[in-house]
Amino acid sequence: MYIGKTPTVGNFQVCDAISVVNGQAAYTLQVGGANVAPESANHMLVSLNGILQKPGSSFTISGSTMTFASNLATGDVIDFVQILGNVLDIGQPSDDTVTAAKLNNDVISGQTALTSAPADTDELLISDAGTIKRIDVSLVGGKNTPAFLAKKSSNQTISDNTATKVTFAGEEYDTNSAYASDKFTVPSGEAGKYTIYGNLQLQANGGNDLETGEASIRINGSEAHVVANKFGSNEPVKQGISFMATIALSVSDYVEIYAKINSEANADCFVRQETSGLGSYFGAYKIIT
Amino acid sequence: MASLFTKTKLYIEANSKTWDDAKVSLQDDMVDGVSSPYIKIWNYDGLAKPTAEQIASYETAGNAAEANAAIDATRRTQYLSWQQQMEMIYKDQKNGTTTFKDHCDKVRSDNPKG
Repeated sequence: MYIGKTPTVGNFQVCDAISVVNGQAAYTLQVGGANVAPESANHMLVSLNGILQKPGSSFTISGSTMTFASNLATGDVIDFVQILGNVLDIGQPSDDTVTAAKLNNDVISGQTALTSAPADTDELLISDAGTIKRIDVSLVGGKNTPAFLAKKSSNQTISDNTATKVTFAGEEYDTNSAYASDKFTVPSGEAGKYTIYGNLQLQANGGNDLETGEASIRINGSEAHVVANKFGSNEPVKQGISFMATIALSVSDYVEIYAKINSEANADCFVRQETSGLGSYFGAYKIIT
Repeated sequence: MASLFTKTKLYIEANSKTWDDAKVSLQDDMVDGVSSPYIKIWNYDGLAKPTAEQIASYETAGNAAEANAAIDATRRTQYLSWQQQMEMIYKDQKNGTTTFKDHCDKVRSDNPKG
């Protein structure tokens, strides 16, 4: 129920005046000089010689051509042609008038699918505390960066029973150029929790006499996490030690890996480079929180 | 060249103490990729941290100790597993033979200490 004038809903148009041509039944419909195509004859009011014409029988529509049931003659007058319009063409809705209930469920599924990963500058709609905003894809979800991975490019001699900084010269990737001189330094603006991981392939120099082996993660020179193995009576010639820890780091904190090996023969040992696979490696990545 | 660990251990033992990881720790920071081990932690009561000269004085003894340690390691391998040794001992007792002793003598003569 409305108070006052009922709102107009529709796209109502009155066609330009049409001059009758003797012996012609078909006429082109225009509005403002441009052809228009009614949805059907039933969407029209047509008056000929003061009489409303019945849609479908007195006239038909094909595109923008209206055809009368018989040729018109000199003296006939097409009084008006009114197109009731695309009744669902409601024009531009006013602000805040389209509610969720008015949207079809295929509003998303009905669109063309993106078949590859979106670009960082592609945008999504998001409700920001109830206000719809657009947001770049790059800002959604976050990335596990900075991230790097480096491996040993040659065997490194480790003095017996001496905690020794392990060098990893074979850089596999380094997203923020934060790994250099065998250590990872947290770049500006990248403080957060980092997962630090790696593996050391330890080898005795000679017989099967590895007694103990340690791998330690050091933050700013201090031990933050140590993995220690005592090999007991097995005393293997080669043994891997894997390590992983998630540690909160601040900007400019630096991370290094130290190895400590004790051999039964009190001889130097090695942290090995392997000819296949990563062998001894050291990596880290920032976790999404 | 004897390792810093060996020489430091000899210094400690020469002063009637024993190596204790809680009291002594060695470190090598590989500065510019060059190995240069040093004593990082020293917490022995009544025993001063050795000077470079004191450490160097154990070079010869350290080399000998490491050579003997290497020989011990080789001998351990050649002695075979404890299961194999038990088998030899059992058979010797059963048969009145000296296979186990002969085996050990050969390992030791093949790998003499200096």
